[in-house]
Amino acid sequence: MTLLDNIPPAFLLIIGAFILLLLPATARKTGTIALAFFGFYAVSQLSEGSRIMPEFLGFDLTLLRVDSTSKAFGYIFTLSAFGALIFSWSERSRLQNTAALAYVGSALGVVFAGDMISWYLFWEMMAISSTFLILARNNERSRLAAQRYILIHLAGGLVLLTGILLAIHETGSVAFTKENIYQNATAKNFILIGILINAAAVPFSSWLPDAYPESTVFGGIILSAYTTKTAVYTLVRGFPGEDILIPIGCVMAVYGIIYALLENDMRRILAYSIINQVGFMVCGVGIGTKLAIAGVVAHAFCHIIYKSLLWMSAGAVLYRTNKSKCTELGGLYKTMPITMVLGTIGALAISGVPLTSGFISKTLITAAAEHQNYLWAWLALEVASAGVFLHAGIKFPFFVFFNVDRGLRPKEAPRAMIAGMSLMAFLCIYLGLNPSHLYSILPNNDILTNQNSFYEIYIKHFDHVATMFQMLIFSGLSFFLFLPMLRRTPTISIDFDWFYRKGANLFYCGIDKTFNSINRAAEHIVIKTFLPALARFIITAPASLTVMILRPIWQDSLSADKASIKKHEQKLIARFSSGTFPVAYSAIFILIFIGILIFLGRSSS
Amino acid sequence: MATKKKVTRKNSTGNKARAKTRPSKETSPATDNPYISPSFWKAMWIICSISVILEFFIHRHKHFEELESSVLGNMSNWFGFYGLFGLIACSGSILLAKGLSVFLKAKEDYYDDTP
Repeated sequence: MTLLDNIPPAFLLIIGAFILLLLPATARKTGTIALAFFGFYAVSQLSEGSRIMPEFLGFDLTLLRVDSTSKAFGYIFTLSAFGALIFSWSERSRLQNTAALAYVGSALGVVFAGDMISWYLFWEMMAISSTFLILARNNERSRLAAQRYILIHLAGGLVLLTGILLAIHETGSVAFTKENIYQNATAKNFILIGILINAAAVPFSSWLPDAYPESTVFGGIILSAYTTKTAVYTLVRGFPGEDILIPIGCVMAVYGIIYALLENDMRRILAYSIINQVGFMVCGVGIGTKLAIAGVVAHAFCHIIYKSLLWMSAGAVLYRTNKSKCTELGGLYKTMPITMVLGTIGALAISGVPLTSGFISKTLITAAAEHQNYLWAWLALEVASAGVFLHAGIKFPFFVFFNVDRGLRPKEAPRAMIAGMSLMAFLCIYLGLNPSHLYSILPNNDILTNQNSFYEIYIKHFDHVATMFQMLIFSGLSFFLFLPMLRRTPTISIDFDWFYRKGANLFYCGIDKTFNSINRAAEHIVIKTFLPALARFIITAPASLTVMILRPIWQDSLSADKASIKKHEQKLIARFSSGTFPVAYSAIFILIFIGILIFLGRSSS
Repeated sequence: MATKKKVTRKNSTGNKARAKTRPSKETSPATDNPYISPSFWKAMWIICSISVILEFFIHRHKHFEELESSVLGNMSNWFGFYGLFGLIACSGSILLAKGLSVFLKAKEDYYDDTP
């Protein structure tokens, strides 16, 4: 298929999104699912290499850069869109449909972009289209959350753009490669910060748990997969082996756990666990060895599947009960058993339980840390893997489906939702049992050829399985030992968004106090005091001056009669204020004036 | 795997409870919360001990062989390291989260007056 080989999958989805907008409901929904599947097929048909190079502003763009890394991301992006679209059959509106396809399309655009300009353009398109998925919830909270979300992303986009422009200016080339980015240290730092904002790295992380849980049921599933993972992809492209990413990733992984433990809202728990999981990937990019990069891509792949599954099960609960707080949920296993089982599979997969997809991907990153002797990074990642089981593996299903029965008796999730969840749950277990299928599409997969079979991983290296199992079961034990301390409270947790939410208020008050008091002081001094004084001066000065000049003359000529002098003064002031003078006075003034002019003219010449 | 065990067990009791109490639509929270059930704890302890006993029968690959001087590196090869590590790491995270909750938890209407 040479035609499909030369069409960027991004265009398929974005153009398709707008064509489908015109169709009636059922055709549109079917068409969208078919389009996502076709996108998957189109990605599979791409042959390796760089091509499609239209000229833009005098630069050659590269709309298709195909290699194993971009193809792996392309597969999972279209696959998870396919699952999410099936899931949301009964829930998805026209707006969400278009926004989601455009969002997925632009994410594919970033993944296949070989130059920095088209990368940036698709990057911004992602920010804009994803905002509609939050707005589609259609309430005041989501509107404000969407506002904050787009502001953060536009700011991040500007930082990225600055970096890109500096890099292009330095090298004269738009190619999106590590060498190009590293030419100029400032450009590199700007680009790195721009990407890290999208990757939800601490301290730019709060937009994610702020915005995603305010989105619609469908929006949450779609959002959870793309923005942070395209950021991981761009890190893999531009910054493999960048040392600073190791501590950043470890901090993200641990921070995600602590906040997920504090949270009450189930979808916010899942949002924090995205940060935790992306922390693993960022750390893996920082380690930067062949094994680590393969592990990052594998982990992104598996993560998207089980995280979609978790968001789907949370979404099904939200759809049926209209509640998302742990303090209001509980005991749902009674009426939503299928959702519970499928959600639990996702929870086990994210925890990296053996035989699930999490186990075969996360262990690649920890093994890479171990091979490079990064002891502290390894410890942080192990803490993070134990903690994942705590918050996502047990806390989420336990508080939603078990814990206290709150008398909720919702119906089981609709059939379409169960179909979507089943697909994802199947993939979680299938990949866990057949690691070679995933490993064969990874970059640098030659280093994994000796250890990609079920036998190699689960039988020959049974010690890893046993130790992982031991760690997880003791993590679970500590959850139940400390359960009284984990009792949910109807609270929210304060994150870095405090600085721009409360901080914005403080800033506003501060600016209000400072500038308005300057304003008031200026008004008092200039408007109320100085200007009237000036006006008075201008009105009275000529009269007083004349009086001052004339007083000695009057005193001489009128024999110092005080009463008559006073009378003259008053008459003069009255004439000044009314502007009426007898001809003689006027003539005298004119003479004096001409005399002054002549005198000045003389002295200057 | 504890979750799975709990799942199946709870499911069977849950079905019975539902069959009996459906008209009233209310079950007492005390009987519904699995953490106070002694049989759950028994299962939990049994699985924990199995996971430790299992370690007697396997040959573990050594971690961090090049970092011989590092105490932590050596500790990772101790018997039962992973179990202890899981327990300490999780208890530590829970206690840390509990400690931080004093500063970080706020009422749900905390941001209501902000943009």
